[in-house]
Amino acid sequence: MQSLVEHTDGINKLLARYGVKFGIYKNQVFHEQLFPFDALPRVIEAQEFAFLEKGLIQRVTALNLFLKDIYTEKKIIAQKVIPEEFVFSSKGFLPQCEGIVPPKNIYAHISGIDLVQAKDKSWYILEDNLRIPSGASYPLIARKLCRLASPETFTRNKVVDNRNYPQLLKELMENVNTGGLNVILTPGRYNAAFFEHAYFAETTGSVLAMSSDLFVENNQLYYRDNGGKAQRVGALYRRISDEYLDPMNFLPESLIGIPNVLTAYRSGNVALINAPGNGVADDKGIYYFVPKMIKYYLNEEPILQNAPTYLMYDEKERLMALSRMDELVFKDVSEAGGYGVVFGRDLDKGGKEKLANLITREPRRFVAQEIIDFIDLPILENGKQVLRKADLRAFVLDGKEIKVWPSGLTRFSRNPDSFVVNSSQGGGFKDTWVLSR
Amino acid sequence: MGIISLEKQDHLYWLGRYSERVYTTLKTFLLGYDQMLDDEGTTYGDVCRRLDIPNIYTSQENFIKIYLFSDRDANSVYSNLKRAYDNAVVLRDEISSPSLCYIQMALDIMEACSGEPLNLLELQRVLDTLLAFWGSVDDNVLSEESRNIMKSGRYLERLDLFIRFGYPAASLARELGKFENRIRRLQEFQYDGGAYQAFVAAVRRGGSLKPQLVNLNQIILRRPS
Repeated sequence: MQSLVEHTDGINKLLARYGVKFGIYKNQVFHEQLFPFDALPRVIEAQEFAFLEKGLIQRVTALNLFLKDIYTEKKIIAQKVIPEEFVFSSKGFLPQCEGIVPPKNIYAHISGIDLVQAKDKSWYILEDNLRIPSGASYPLIARKLCRLASPETFTRNKVVDNRNYPQLLKELMENVNTGGLNVILTPGRYNAAFFEHAYFAETTGSVLAMSSDLFVENNQLYYRDNGGKAQRVGALYRRISDEYLDPMNFLPESLIGIPNVLTAYRSGNVALINAPGNGVADDKGIYYFVPKMIKYYLNEEPILQNAPTYLMYDEKERLMALSRMDELVFKDVSEAGGYGVVFGRDLDKGGKEKLANLITREPRRFVAQEIIDFIDLPILENGKQVLRKADLRAFVLDGKEIKVWPSGLTRFSRNPDSFVVNSSQGGGFKDTWVLSR
Repeated sequence: MGIISLEKQDHLYWLGRYSERVYTTLKTFLLGYDQMLDDEGTTYGDVCRRLDIPNIYTSQENFIKIYLFSDRDANSVYSNLKRAYDNAVVLRDEISSPSLCYIQMALDIMEACSGEPLNLLELQRVLDTLLAFWGSVDDNVLSEESRNIMKSGRYLERLDLFIRFGYPAASLARELGKFENRIRRLQEFQYDGGAYQAFVAAVRRGGSLKPQLVNLNQIILRRPS
């Protein structure tokens, strides 16, 4: 391991050379930033991974069933497991998707499930990302470079190879492809995750396209090649948000969408990966109900637990949370990327009052959570090991069967006082090793 | 990959042109740099005239700094390299990560050279890296059509610059041969007839060509309608 650590700078230089970057807008100006890599990996032992794998497959199975139910029969609402108004007031619920059953009944083809490990070693799910979770490319490319930098580290430690992600992704696209090209749709190079879009197009052999390359005709989606010939698209791994996907069905002002692609999808003529409308299942408010979903759809006890969460929509829970503001973290359910997360203890009296008023006015918009004192992982800072908060984004891929990628993106905070690990907030990343024994 | 859109075709072509623009202007700059040190501060004006760019520079020193490294001068070598990068970065799936790496590296080296004091010795590495880029393209870009589009852009740009810098007729004829070699392989493409035919005839006749007589930008890569 020492030789791997000694190569940290060299690996970071190669990552820069490969253009492993993410984009960020500050004051409405686009900047590309390197994503700092720490060579000390997070290590998950085989038995522990087997437990996580089981729990994650269970969770994603239930979430898929929930999505199908919500957009078709709505039994979970009829049986009052989840309040009706809670589902339909979610920003992620799209009435335009009502009645659509995607190819092979798969809604969440790629799920990014964020977990933390508490100091007692128990794992908690922090949030589900079922729309366009990003981040798998970083540990994927880092592993390649780490193996090159320190081969002995990988001969001495039995680490499960994680470099099959593009293969899994390709299989997943092939599984639902309705006949035609596999295409990755990117909003363009100024998107935060553009590196990943382009890298996955390269490594899966898919076509990287922008909306101007695609069009719908006779209810089919086509890619227009440089000879003007229309090539049919069978699977579209779209990396743009639902609301921008189709100006004829969602935001009419969207310039990065494909007119009528939802109509082609509704007709079963193209698979959209992930399905539009998934936001209703990864809403931070709906998160509260996932354990109930697991019991309802699978008749099983949840294997992985949620962080203890309180719904501000529920008056009793709201009053309790507002009386314990210093002990809780408040999350705006419509935000992502570490934004909209407020630790009550960081607010002064005025700030608390302001937040309490906002929560009382817009209770559906917020949840409160117990602060999980999750474990610190060692990272290298100026040649010394220091401890920093870190989470894990596990990737669950639903193809012919549901598989958990034996790796994941471990993000850490570079600020010693912060629990926020997002790259957009200055965090770095580690490789995640799953040991084979 | 094999299937590309019109937009990607355009990016391939301009990646070829901008990377060549950086290569040839930098190479020419380094050749003329020594002479520039001893003259009376007039050489850079001639370079501007030849390249048909506005002479916004206040001195020889200012020219060296701004023309090479400024991100605010749209005609600087750095700006042209940035445009090569802008075209390359959206082509990762077509040109491959290893090839894209070389453009990224050239940009990184250029940026590292721009600090005070200027480090012009390291500019040789930009040239080396661009040559490595073309080697990587030959190795890693699987689609012959894509390679031909890039290289037709590359050699057209080279012809344009060679004419501007007054390179001898033999050099022009050699580069024209490379250009035509690429164009021939792009069977479905053609070049706009008149201007190009006149240009080819002039090169074959030998002798120097005046830049103002040949507007290669009119020779646009296009498919027959």
